[in-house]
Amino acid sequence: MEIKTEQFTELAKKELKNERSRLFLKLIPPVMKAKREAGMGSLPDAPAAMACGAAMRAEVLARLPELLEEFEKNAKANGMKVVWARDDKEANEFIKNLAKEKGIKYVTKGKSMVTEETALNELLEKHGIEVWETDLGEFIAQQLHRPPFHIVGPAINVPVEEVRDLFIEKIGLKEPTLDPVQLGYAARLFLRDKFHHVQMGITGVNMAVAETGTIINVENEGNIRFTKSSPPVQVSVMSLEKVIPTMKDALHMIRLLCRNCTGQRLSVYISMDSGPKKKDEVDGPEELYLVIVDNGRSKIYQDAKAREALRCIRCGACLVACPVWRQVGGYAYGWAYSGPMGQILNPMLLGLDRTQELYRASTLCGACKSFCPVGIDHPSLFLYYRAKDVLGDPNFKSIDRPWTERQFFKMWSWAASTPWAWNMGVRMARPIMNKDAQNGVVRKAKGPFGGWFRTRDIPAMAVDTFHDRWKKIKKERG
Amino acid sequence: MKDVSLFIPCTVDLFAPRIGEAVVNILRRVGVNPIYHEEQTCCGQPAMNAGYREEAKKVAKHFISVFEKDEVIVSPAGSCVCMAKDHYPEILEGEPDWLRRAEALAPRLYEFSQYLVDVLKVEDVGASFQGKVTYHESCHILRGLGVSEQPKKLIQAVKGAQLVPLDNADSCCGFGGEFANDFPDISESMVKDKVESFLASGADLLVLNEPGCFLNIGGYLNRNHPGKKVMHLASFLATNGREAQYGN
Amino acid sequence: METSVRDEILAKLKAAPKAEVPTRPSLPPYKTLSMDREQLIAEFTARLAEEAVVVHRVKDLQEALDRLTVVAAEEGLKKVMTSTDDVISRLDLASWGRKNGIQVMTPRDFPDRYSYRDAVFDQAQAGITGADFAVAESATIGLIVNKDQARLVSVAPILHIAIVPVDRLVPVYEQAIEKVFGKKGEYPSQFVFITGPSMTGDIQGVLFKGMHGPRKVIVILVG
Repeated sequence: MEIKTEQFTELAKKELKNERSRLFLKLIPPVMKAKREAGMGSLPDAPAAMACGAAMRAEVLARLPELLEEFEKNAKANGMKVVWARDDKEANEFIKNLAKEKGIKYVTKGKSMVTEETALNELLEKHGIEVWETDLGEFIAQQLHRPPFHIVGPAINVPVEEVRDLFIEKIGLKEPTLDPVQLGYAARLFLRDKFHHVQMGITGVNMAVAETGTIINVENEGNIRFTKSSPPVQVSVMSLEKVIPTMKDALHMIRLLCRNCTGQRLSVYISMDSGPKKKDEVDGPEELYLVIVDNGRSKIYQDAKAREALRCIRCGACLVACPVWRQVGGYAYGWAYSGPMGQILNPMLLGLDRTQELYRASTLCGACKSFCPVGIDHPSLFLYYRAKDVLGDPNFKSIDRPWTERQFFKMWSWAASTPWAWNMGVRMARPIMNKDAQNGVVRKAKGPFGGWFRTRDIPAMAVDTFHDRWKKIKKERG
Repeated sequence: MKDVSLFIPCTVDLFAPRIGEAVVNILRRVGVNPIYHEEQTCCGQPAMNAGYREEAKKVAKHFISVFEKDEVIVSPAGSCVCMAKDHYPEILEGEPDWLRRAEALAPRLYEFSQYLVDVLKVEDVGASFQGKVTYHESCHILRGLGVSEQPKKLIQAVKGAQLVPLDNADSCCGFGGEFANDFPDISESMVKDKVESFLASGADLLVLNEPGCFLNIGGYLNRNHPGKKVMHLASFLATNGREAQYGN
Repeated sequence: METSVRDEILAKLKAAPKAEVPTRPSLPPYKTLSMDREQLIAEFTARLAEEAVVVHRVKDLQEALDRLTVVAAEEGLKKVMTSTDDVISRLDLASWGRKNGIQVMTPRDFPDRYSYRDAVFDQAQAGITGADFAVAESATIGLIVNKDQARLVSVAPILHIAIVPVDRLVPVYEQAIEKVFGKKGEYPSQFVFITGPSMTGDIQGVLFKGMHGPRKVIVILVG
């Protein structure tokens, strides 16, 4: 996937004019919000459940290296082959070499955000190995060569006419239909054939349980179960923060994940693998490879504040909470991760220099934080990254702010802590500000504030400010 | 009579001073004595939001010195209250003495409706308004301070006023300070949706209690729907919904 | 080679600033924990109905077989694949199949995994399994994978019929997990929770069943 995180504003502008996206964004997020609320309502104490989720993920981060070692030990004892990868290249190379070694012609894939991050599919295709995404949404997005619109419904915005045309072209759809059910059935038949003959399956990992050395996948469609059950080789890829201490902890996180994702108490299939198939079993993998991917996370981890971004369990609730995402949808964010979770993660993974607009395109409204089942304070992280640009942080590739902005805030903060200067500044600014005032409002102004005035007025700066009026009020009271 | 110190944010001071006057009016009505320190300027949010923490600290220290001797400080701006309560301790963490002073000040800061309803236990301030009113839940007030019932109680106690629901009442209006100017396309789209909800609600008047939202939504209405009005809660109560002009 | 990448990553993590492990808030117990047997059954059945799972309540295994006959006729079943787990093995489905003109296949009828795979993909019109657990919290069936419980039987055919003895019903997932993962190092290669038929909403948010896994799940609740 091409990384377009530098193009947020332009992509957002384009998406704001996309009628179909707008229609989708008007209708579906409120439904998803309502479902989430109903799902959370089925817990005896939703706020406590979320606070517990936050404490669990904070614990994971506090004990990360120790938990990873415990997980690896138990996973290996179960017969899993554990492989570590420092970055996208190492992860992709390992999987490609394994596939080549086994003479694999194609793989089926369960949804894995970390492999979108590493661009695994492109690397495999380049080396002659066909990759079939099998989650319906991922499959459509893959065939259309588009990034995910929503982390859980990657192609949920694609109009049904486009899906029909795509299926006619790519999967031999015979009857042109606009019925999503029929289209889904056509995809079922096409992908079923892939599952039937697949020799290597690749999945992500929702949770890796340290206590037992078990990996857990959460899904509704069954494509991950097929990918794990049908072929003799399974490769599961996890980013290193996905570990969780115990099975009981995992159950709590699953309760939160499913409700925050789709409002379900439990997704249709929760499959827990503790190793390859046993000798006398007839299906399942003979070999189960577990790839633990770093790709910048150990660096994020060094920063005690930024590491909060690693709590994320990819539920997607922050997307439907976010008033900005609900205006522009997922494409504008330019990479695998969109919405508030993308705005905190992309800057850390790619560098602040490539993501300047992502953490500034927020009103800090806090809706994301209020939905987050693991207590991430997204607005606080946006402010933190903005401060990094001002203070400078080469570790995260901060970019220096414009000289004019620096001077402005220097002057402004001096005036705001020096009352006589503040009042004088107001007196000086008023005639400039009100130059084009009419009927008590300003309708246009050139320069840095042009953005506001396109569709909004602002009151003319009051001739007598509250400061001035107070003097009168004081006098009146004697 | 109890003294209550006013924190009038720069947005009100410069662009909507009558909101400040309305606050004075209401506080007097309910029997407290509003005082105003003229050395006050701004809470420092613009610098904080832009990442300029050293500069924000300077302004925070001035704010603290202005207000720390007051028993109670009330403001018609929830975002400024949040800035002082939540962010001052955060940015002053490295300076223990200032941190202590910031933490001592925090519990004494109140948003306007919070002060009336939670502290003074007042809901009826003697206002009246014949018509339908709807309420926009400003982000910092709702999610930053947990205040939602208080403004609605004040509105419902207004004689003749009928509070009607607003679709997506808790959705951000698109102000966000610098955001409105830096991302104008998205901001406009957000305020447009907010206004559409207002128009669809059947209300005669939109009431809110955050000056930023007032400037944003009011600015859009003034340009595109001049007949429809938005008012700050304090102005609504103090003038019985009559002085609803946007300009100065 | 492998060790050094691992060691490098772990060393970096260990060198990072330390943080405190926060205390967790206590959680009130889930409501099913205070339900008696009849209430649990009612809860389980109600949840199953929400997931559009067809539920048949029968007294004993003989009635289960009779009900299965009815279901097979309704669904027009001629060829099925079944597990050989402890519930199914008590039913003697081989005889039942012969009596009703239904070909009953089991995974071990096949010489290798590939011929079994072909059959479960292309020939089986239904997969019939027992259940190791049933969880009232969300109408969930728990299956332990082993030599008598193959994975594809409950996911490849378009219909999944689960024979669930009522004494396998537990109030919350924890009680299933405690049993499955109770003995350190002795874990099944796979354990799966199944809640209703396969589902997606990936095209324009329109929900439908039977994306990849079964389109229909029928539960015969015994006891």
